[in-house]
Amino acid sequence: MSEEELARKLRRAAHLILFQHHRYPGAKGWELRKVVGRDYMKVIKLLREKLSDLGLDIKIVSEEGEDIASLSEMQLDKARFYVVSKHPLTFSEAALAGWRLDSLAVLAVTISFIASRHGKAPKKEVEKMLSEKFPEWKVSVELDRFIKKGYLSEDEEEVLYLGWRTKAEVDLKALLENIAGGQTS
Amino acid sequence: MPRWKLVDDLLLDSEALRELSEVVKLQSDWVKHRASRMFIDPFLVETKLKLMDREQLAKAFLRSWRPVISTEQLTFRRLKEAYDYWAALPPLLERKRELMTQAEVEVKHLNLEELIKMRLLSREEFERSLNEMYEELVNASRGGPINYWGFVIKDSFEESALRAYMASFLVSQGRAEIFIDPIQEEIFIKPAKAEDKKMGRSIVVAFNYSIWEKELERIKHERRRAS
Repeated sequence: MSEEELARKLRRAAHLILFQHHRYPGAKGWELRKVVGRDYMKVIKLLREKLSDLGLDIKIVSEEGEDIASLSEMQLDKARFYVVSKHPLTFSEAALAGWRLDSLAVLAVTISFIASRHGKAPKKEVEKMLSEKFPEWKVSVELDRFIKKGYLSEDEEEVLYLGWRTKAEVDLKALLENIAGGQTS
Repeated sequence: MPRWKLVDDLLLDSEALRELSEVVKLQSDWVKHRASRMFIDPFLVETKLKLMDREQLAKAFLRSWRPVISTEQLTFRRLKEAYDYWAALPPLLERKRELMTQAEVEVKHLNLEELIKMRLLSREEFERSLNEMYEELVNASRGGPINYWGFVIKDSFEESALRAYMASFLVSQGRAEIFIDPIQEEIFIKPAKAEDKKMGRSIVVAFNYSIWEKELERIKHERRRAS
């Protein structure tokens, strides 16, 4: 593969992952294979190195929503590739992105609560838990916002689940460890 | 500390402290291990969540959060769809005219001519029904007045409404007379006298579902009393 061709493939892969062209951001493995070629994983590896200099990383999430290090070719085809921040955000960085301290805290409680109950919890229980620290109107507004953003999903029986965005963005093990271990300082 | 005299005491105390710290460390490792395997007691998490303040919660989240970076863009396909929509959109003046026409549509009464025009009714059929009704009125009244509601009301609302509508035609054609007893406020109907025929007159008689229900009940009650 010539340098020129590699540069072209890198550009195409970066555009495909970064520019939202569906309802959800990122790109599926089969889309990358179609646009970049069969050796797209080599291009992804190179792109990851280049993005690393900018503080970004590529995250591969399986169809089931799991972040698995090694996936088979078939699993990769169905997996979604995202560009994510490589390092944790600071308060000021999160604020610049439009996040308030309260919203982060509500999201932390909600995700931890649901994750500790094997990925689902009745909405009423979540609301009751949140209402101990936040006003009811805020709880309702924030939960609706998180559902719209994809951090949570809700079924007809008002049961909350972890949404696609939580699976893509949040390291659940680390979060539970931080909460349960009390490593908050 | 100054009271400690023996080195052995110091050694024993430090040993106890070391053992205690070891227990705490093991407990911490156990919790971390459980958390890392996602096997964690929900009540432990709930308790911790209740104990932590907003800042601690936000910090815990930030440490495990790597937000997705993406940018929204206008694709060529969407641009093409927008162009096609624009090209097919009629000028505002045309759409305004359509909207005005729709707004001008009002609810109004249909007369016999319009019903015939709309082919909902044929003139012959209507005339035949009117003649049948007139015969029925002549037979029922035997020349004298009879209660209007007793004549018009039947078991179904639709049939009663149709009969009230047709009775109004008989009156307007001058073939029947309607008059109201001002004291009893009772409405009567009777066939018109030969000399009064062709002299149609107009009396407003309201008819709706609640009137039909009330009059039907009254008629049934009267029939029961008579039998």
